[in-house]
Amino acid sequence: MPRVEPESTRGTTELVPLWRHDVGDYLSAAEISPDGRLCIAGAGTGVLVGLDLETGEQRFRVHAHDDGVLALSIAPDSTRFVTCGHTQTAKVWSASGELLFELPGGGPAWVERVAWAPSGARIATGAGRIVRIWSAGGALLAEPEPLASTVSGLVWRADGTALAASAYGGVTVIPVVDNAKVRRLEWKGSLISLAWSPDAKVIACGSQDSSVHFWRLGNGKDSEMSGYPFKPKALAWDGESKLLATSGDAAVTVWDFRGNGPEGTKPIQLAGHKSVCTRLAFSPRKGVLASGAQDMSVLIWEPRRSVEPIGFAFLEDEVTALVWHPEHRGLLGGDASGNLVYWKGN
Amino acid sequence: MKKIPVTVLTGFLGSGKTTLLNRILTENHGKRIAVIENEFGEIGIDQALVINADEEIFEMNNGCICCTVRGDLIRILGNLMKRRDKFDHILVETTGMADPGPVAQTFFVDDDLRELFSLDGIVTLVDAKHVSLHLEDSNECKEQIAFADVLVLNKTDLVSEAELDALERRVSAMNSMAKVLRSQNADVPIAQVLDIGGFDLERAVAAKPSFLTPEYPFEWAGTFNLGEGIYELALEEGPDPAMTLVASYLEPDERASSKSAADRALHTWSESPLEVLPSGIVEIGSKQPALLLIEGRPIKRYQLRAPRPGRVGLYAQHLPAEFQMRLLDRGARVLPVAEQEFAAAHSHDESVTSVGIHLEGAIDGARLDKWVSALLRDKGADIFRMKGILNIAGAENRFVFQGVHMLFDGREDRPWGDTHRANDLVFIGRKLDREALTRGFERCLV
Repeated sequence: MPRVEPESTRGTTELVPLWRHDVGDYLSAAEISPDGRLCIAGAGTGVLVGLDLETGEQRFRVHAHDDGVLALSIAPDSTRFVTCGHTQTAKVWSASGELLFELPGGGPAWVERVAWAPSGARIATGAGRIVRIWSAGGALLAEPEPLASTVSGLVWRADGTALAASAYGGVTVIPVVDNAKVRRLEWKGSLISLAWSPDAKVIACGSQDSSVHFWRLGNGKDSEMSGYPFKPKALAWDGESKLLATSGDAAVTVWDFRGNGPEGTKPIQLAGHKSVCTRLAFSPRKGVLASGAQDMSVLIWEPRRSVEPIGFAFLEDEVTALVWHPEHRGLLGGDASGNLVYWKGN
Repeated sequence: MKKIPVTVLTGFLGSGKTTLLNRILTENHGKRIAVIENEFGEIGIDQALVINADEEIFEMNNGCICCTVRGDLIRILGNLMKRRDKFDHILVETTGMADPGPVAQTFFVDDDLRELFSLDGIVTLVDAKHVSLHLEDSNECKEQIAFADVLVLNKTDLVSEAELDALERRVSAMNSMAKVLRSQNADVPIAQVLDIGGFDLERAVAAKPSFLTPEYPFEWAGTFNLGEGIYELALEEGPDPAMTLVASYLEPDERASSKSAADRALHTWSESPLEVLPSGIVEIGSKQPALLLIEGRPIKRYQLRAPRPGRVGLYAQHLPAEFQMRLLDRGARVLPVAEQEFAAAHSHDESVTSVGIHLEGAIDGARLDKWVSALLRDKGADIFRMKGILNIAGAENRFVFQGVHMLFDGREDRPWGDTHRANDLVFIGRKLDREALTRGFERCLV
């Protein structure tokens, strides 16, 4: 098994685990509630667990979706969350793990995407080519025209006024305010990941053809960043909307959007993982980035200051989840064998 | 970690895909199978997970045909891998009109799938009764046959033995690499369609060395016992204005179709032919082939001269039936003691064919690389599949390779050891130029 060599971690500190939990199967989704109290994780068996973030104590464990959980999203008030998996409906739960109601995806396909709007008022589901927008109480508000192909990403604008849905052929921006029109961002390629900058100015997507494509919504201009050896499956914006971290190689590539960048600039390359990077998460604390890889390693970076990692940790299998505490008190990581670890923030 | 094998089932609507799928699923093989179905059939099997999905063909921005992949497979197989308790085998049932190219390419091109899955084989079901119609007007039908590792001629009860033989010759001419099975109700042994290693070079070569047997330029070989004298060879007009014929003496116990005799005929065939007009003489045992020019009266009569009595092999470029060809002795028909038809290497009526090339000697690796790169760049869209075993100069090991369109996978295999070093290459594709391919390959020789 590949390991990070001691040389490459010189000057870095090992993260201190606060607790560990075995979910029992491939950890397919994990989130921390916005109030910082609860961790919710879903697994390949369809099991969903709720853990006290401080202590790791189990609050609930329910069987949510036959054959596997695929995604989950927590309401901004931390009282509810929505999950989806290998089933034709998404499910809305209370923070204590009681099933409240179900949201049918609208076809025979699995609901593969769920996103709770940052405003709290709406929930979006993606099933096959169908996007549905629901009220927080479960009433169907809108079902826009189906996309060209299966929804591959679903992200709300930071203020909750619009929803971006990616698929083969481009991104569809669906407004939820009156009198606004659906906008199409065209790109002939299969988009596989989607991230909308917190300042709402840029939408970035990873593409099947091993490139990253982004659109500036203000002037409608788009650019492509190519040369990745693998598909950029993970993308993360920093809180300032200036840095976009991208996977697609063992090294993490960070594009700087300050000034006239990133067009025509050289990206910051963070080398440390020994195999392909699978997860990226920027801390709400300015400029701290966590990256996880197939080689089980988790590395912490301050890309603006140094291309050397400042912290590291190991899981026991490919890293499948990385989430920061909203106030940077800790980092949650999960792997393909079902290990969930919460490390102390620094 | 062992990669999970994937079997692709293709075939036109009504060819029996779903019947075969159900047979595989109900057979007690102890495997955990997941099925991805693009055609909404009626499958209700408890032990298998059946996922219905719309076929999503994704072309990339660069417009390269080899980057065309199946998005639905990438997504669904990616999701299926998010569990510890994984599957033993994946079956993909395509729609009747599916192009198998993107399905195969998906497993070469996508990072994740390449790592976790291996394409075990493409099994194409052929409706023996109706396929001829589809072959005339459907590119998809031809491609499904061309891509196959296994061709199942199904519904054999609806056609005659002779029609089946003709169909088998036809599909074998299109795809000489595929194993051809016959079935009534898709009742083929499961071991012949699952875990066949169609894309696994080592196994393909080990299990089926005959996939590289040289093809003969003749479609028919007849064995005759003739006395000394002049016989008459009568022909009528056929699909071509001329036909090549080799007439040679055999050993007393030999048949014209036996490998030794057919190889000698092949040798003679490669010499420049003697043109023979009707009433002209074809000499048995000649070192040159005869090119019968079919002109003049409705029935063309050539003289077949036997300088001595003996067993004789006649090798004809076309089936005798195509020209009403018959051998006469003073007006009486002489029947062959044995005859055999061959899947001919040439083919006039198919745009999809196989070209197999056998070369003695050693190959210059750099030249080969250059030739294959240029060939795939220019003709990759028309080359569906290729396989080869090469004797690279200076290498102890065999070099084996295979490709799908422009995607190419080659590596060193086991040592040659005492086996005869030679080069074999098979292409399956559309509008293949046998001579240009042969010349190109020959130029790679050291």
